[in-house]
Amino acid sequence: MIRVLFLVIAVTGLASALATVLIKNLVRAALALAGFFFAVACLFVLLEAEFLAALQVLIYVGAVSILLMFGIMLTRGVQGTDPASRPSAWRLPGVVIGLAVFALLGYAIFQETGLGTQRAWGAIDPRPAIARGTVEPGAPRRRAINDMGKVVGVELMTRYVVAFELAGLLLTAALVGAVAVAHREDDEPSRGEPSRIPSDPPITTSP
Amino acid sequence: MESDIPLSWFLLFAAASFAIGLIGVLTRKNAIAVLMAIEIMLNAANVNLVAFWRYGPELPEAGPVAGIVLAIMVITVAAAEVAVGIGLILLCYRRWRAADVDRYDSLAG
Repeated sequence: MIRVLFLVIAVTGLASALATVLIKNLVRAALALAGFFFAVACLFVLLEAEFLAALQVLIYVGAVSILLMFGIMLTRGVQGTDPASRPSAWRLPGVVIGLAVFALLGYAIFQETGLGTQRAWGAIDPRPAIARGTVEPGAPRRRAINDMGKVVGVELMTRYVVAFELAGLLLTAALVGAVAVAHREDDEPSRGEPSRIPSDPPITTSP
Repeated sequence: MESDIPLSWFLLFAAASFAIGLIGVLTRKNAIAVLMAIEIMLNAANVNLVAFWRYGPELPEAGPVAGIVLAIMVITVAAAEVAVGIGLILLCYRRWRAADVDRYDSLAG
């Protein structure tokens, strides 16, 4: 039953990914991309990482898709069509490289044997079931799964605090950088004096 | 548990998504479409991370939620990348009036 559910979700996700790559209309491609993000969130739920699924829906479906759609509308007009595609001289090598990478990954997935004392992936135990009721003290992952938000917060503040602070610094820098890059000089309301920078220099870099 | 999902199914889904994203990066012409394909590839990597966290052996020194935290970091970096990428694409669009990646050839020799 759960396998059927997985297959349905996987087929939906892969079809959405293919639609994202193949559809000419960019707005529809962005909608298909939101569908792919949602399928990945469903896979996170199947992997019992519901907290991460909620994050995926909030950040990807909610923010990244909308940001991409704003980008499309700001660069292409509302129609968002992408009529000119890359010439076929580029299309065939791209598809061949993609299929070759998939064949290599699939071969590796089915051929791996484990390393040293580690077992092969095929011999790894099936997932431990979700703990019901009281949990024995020796299973921190089960406790983490049952109390994901709290455990992730505590771990972010103790074990991964450096990564957490670095992520905060990165987000701040990215926010400031995005505003500075996309800033337009001639959109500023003039404060009495005109800007001395020529409005449309051909080559010079933006401030 | 016999009705459980094998690990390789998740890995195959991630590999297929990654290949589709790679095809998109290599064949699409619009810069925003390339950015969307990159997002597909990052999500495929996230699926792999969470699947290995859930199925793998439980190491006491790795903490209980190592894969989850790594996936959260990937999501953070991807969000920052999208914000900066959209800004750069808008800047390039204002300069060349085009969003096609093969029009940005000022550095071509």
